[in-house]
Amino acid sequence: MQKRLIVILTVFLFITMTSMAGAQEVKNPGTFVEVNMGTIDSLDPHFQYDSASAEIIDNVYENLIKFDQGDITTFLPHLATEVPTVENGLIRDNNTTYEFPIRNDVVFHNGNKLTPEDVKYSFLRALIQDRDGGPVWMIYEPLFQKSSLSDVIFEVLEEEKNAKDLTAEESAEVYAYLEKAIEINGNSVIFHLPQPFPPFLSIIAQGNGLGAIVDKEWTIEQGDWDGQPETIAEYTNPTKEEDPLFGAMNGTGPYKFVEWVNGEEIVLDRHENYWREPASIKKVIIKMIDEWSTRKLMLQRGDADIVYVDKQYMSQIENMNGVEVITGLPNIYMGAGLMNYNIVTEGNPDVHSGKLDGNGVPSNFFSDIDVRKGFLYSMNYEAFVNDVLEGDGQQGRGPIPEPLLGYDEDSPTYELNLDKAEEHFKQAFNGELWEKGFEITILYNSGNDVRKSAADMLKYYVERINPKFNINVRGIQWASYLDKLIAQKFTLGFIAWGADYADPHNFVVPFVSSTGTYGGFKGEDYAEFAKENIDPLIEEAISLTDPEAREEIYREIQQISYENATDFYLYQPTAQVVMRDWVEGWYYDPIRDPGQYFYSLDK
Amino acid sequence: MIAYIARRLLILPIILFGVSMLIFSMIMMLGPYQRLSTYINDPAQLKGAEDIDQLVSKYGLNDPWYEQYGRWIGGVLKGDFGWSESAGAPVTKAIADRFPATLELALLSLVPVIFGGIILGVLSAVHHNKALDHTIRIFAVIGWSFPSFVFGLIVLMIFYGVLGWLPPGRLSNWATEIVRSADFVSYTGMYILDGILNFNFSIVLDAIRHLIAPVITISILWWAFILRITRSNMLETLKKDYIRTARAKGLADNIVVYKHAVRNALIPVVTVAGQMVLGLAGGLVIVESIFNIRGLGQFMANAAQQLDYPGVLGGALYFGFLLILINLFVDVSYAVIDPRIRLE
Repeated sequence: MQKRLIVILTVFLFITMTSMAGAQEVKNPGTFVEVNMGTIDSLDPHFQYDSASAEIIDNVYENLIKFDQGDITTFLPHLATEVPTVENGLIRDNNTTYEFPIRNDVVFHNGNKLTPEDVKYSFLRALIQDRDGGPVWMIYEPLFQKSSLSDVIFEVLEEEKNAKDLTAEESAEVYAYLEKAIEINGNSVIFHLPQPFPPFLSIIAQGNGLGAIVDKEWTIEQGDWDGQPETIAEYTNPTKEEDPLFGAMNGTGPYKFVEWVNGEEIVLDRHENYWREPASIKKVIIKMIDEWSTRKLMLQRGDADIVYVDKQYMSQIENMNGVEVITGLPNIYMGAGLMNYNIVTEGNPDVHSGKLDGNGVPSNFFSDIDVRKGFLYSMNYEAFVNDVLEGDGQQGRGPIPEPLLGYDEDSPTYELNLDKAEEHFKQAFNGELWEKGFEITILYNSGNDVRKSAADMLKYYVERINPKFNINVRGIQWASYLDKLIAQKFTLGFIAWGADYADPHNFVVPFVSSTGTYGGFKGEDYAEFAKENIDPLIEEAISLTDPEAREEIYREIQQISYENATDFYLYQPTAQVVMRDWVEGWYYDPIRDPGQYFYSLDK
Repeated sequence: MIAYIARRLLILPIILFGVSMLIFSMIMMLGPYQRLSTYINDPAQLKGAEDIDQLVSKYGLNDPWYEQYGRWIGGVLKGDFGWSESAGAPVTKAIADRFPATLELALLSLVPVIFGGIILGVLSAVHHNKALDHTIRIFAVIGWSFPSFVFGLIVLMIFYGVLGWLPPGRLSNWATEIVRSADFVSYTGMYILDGILNFNFSIVLDAIRHLIAPVITISILWWAFILRITRSNMLETLKKDYIRTARAKGLADNIVVYKHAVRNALIPVVTVAGQMVLGLAGGLVIVESIFNIRGLGQFMANAAQQLDYPGVLGGALYFGFLLILINLFVDVSYAVIDPRIRLE
């Protein structure tokens, strides 16, 4: 009996050892498997606005220019033959004209040849599509100093009108206005800007689907915008269901789209007629698997070459055999805490009594600069970075993250200082706050442990300052969290912003302008402050072409934000990547992160 | 019997209407901004207040509830169940795409679950209070009390992580490529069956290899349930007078047990098995997640999580339809198993 047991165990051990050893060999040569979580939102380059979709777009479509291997300060030509500069004369007229000579040796995946007309059509299609909640505002700003098609309609027709309701005549008028910005001259496409806009090249560079070039003929065949001036109403602001490019792709990139099984995987094949050398990897499969254990085992077995790993699981793979972990990658991202200057108190349990009576907070609680400073001095930023982020990040120094223009590593920041916090709380509301105390609820979206930890930390320190100070921390569903933000019923809310393009303008506008995505949530008192103190600086900085002059203004904005304690600039995390050690050619691109550029990879 | 079946089928639309109204009213209890979270995954996607109101208006989230319901039901009557934001596809397509994976897993699991459970239950009852009975009962308690995600993960770790025998997903990459090629005809979407119909037995074997681990997980957990029901019914049946009479007549023990007792003890098991079929055909969120099977369980869970009401309603109608159909099947099965039962 004992002998039989030993034999069985030996066989089991042998199989186990050989299985494990097998896992170390390069698996699936020629096929690259990436395992992510979540879903891909859309395959339409002008519709999508999420990182999972952007990764696919980035490998299938191409833009006029690109960054030099993740260096966000150096551009290289891509579908254009040259990067416009003042020196080569392709940027002229006081930096308002940008000329892009187009390559003539490029074919789309269906074999159609790339022409300047495709480039013009692509940008006009994006401008016309301009779906609500989409990314097209980014290109409206440099080309028209506006934020949407609605703004253009208002200027052209001098009345507010939904783009879906435009008549053919009105559509033609609006189209004429849009078309003036993009001109074809021989083999070049020329963009005319109303005033200099320094981030223009960053916005249209590879990595931002907004500047991706589609095949005009093929796109029309799919049932998309027919290229006619009179048909804007028919094609603007589509839903996913109405969008012909939602699930179809035809670009010039190194990989062509094969199949998308939504929620399961997307398959790309090498573009054999690519204008550069065809990619080394023949096939790319991106699988979407939400279960971490499954992703981990696939990595361990070598069935996945790169996997997405949440911060909390990093320790599980750090010493995994055959796996390379790269951490500390610079991430252009800012995690912040917004303080609502005018909380809507009606029907809002988070302000409790809604008055400064010791049992709640008034609507204008955070309008008092001493309250804001009291809170800012009550946060343990160091512990947050070291314990919550496990050292993978740094404290923010204002709305602008490293390494963008205006970021200064020597600029002042808030630190945990309960004496200073007490000093400010005592001055708040002319001493009334200190006397009466307050009770407030801070919300976070359930499941977001980073935000929960930040809120818990604030509660811990603020309540130590005065026993009459009470903070409740409550997790709510994402839907309710969004509702609170939109309805301006949040008291202090934690949010984050990742770079759409590599320029400080993309951070100061959302965080601190009076009408920004987050600035706009912070109430009327904040809007008034920003209109007077910040908006003019943002406008000035974006109109200048001298980087030094711009840098000075952005530093001033950082300083104003610090002095006025506008928000918590809590953390700028670092990024990480986890892959099999047989992966070659990987490089980090902070704009593309967490997506990969498979063209450079091999195994 | 035909009249009975027709009657049951006729009440189907009324039940489905009631189910859809109930779910719709629950969703409408949330405000328009809360329901906007279906379309906005991150506030960074918003440009500001203007953008928010445009989105609310675009998707008609602020319209009166009867208009929103009317739009949905109007579409349903035309065969359009709406667009599922969580699945990124029309609801009908989302369900149709996931149905074969769920059905294949359900069918393959049903055989070991039901027959394994019945056999173990009968053995346990026949060997009442003996070593075999105790062993099976301990096994049942362990199986029943084991959380499925723990058991599933253990199975995956051993048979995939360590041994590499039973990988997750439905097919290997090479097999997926064949299945999606023009040469392979997809008759049912169930890879085992399609592999047989295409005479491609490498696909059949690969599909079976991928299904073994989830089937083991489901079987171990659900065996216990069928086993306990079968055992208690068998014990009760074995004490009945007609069994005593059969034994007194000198019939062999095997004939008494397997010919006379089992058949009668199976009636309650059929009811439970019906519920089990419903549960399996509705998808198993945890098993599907762990073994990376894109099935209906995951679809429903994602739809509910994202407040994707066309997805939730579509899924609910599917469940409702399935529930009525399976109950009808169970009722008919009663009459087949026990001719004394008449359907009225």
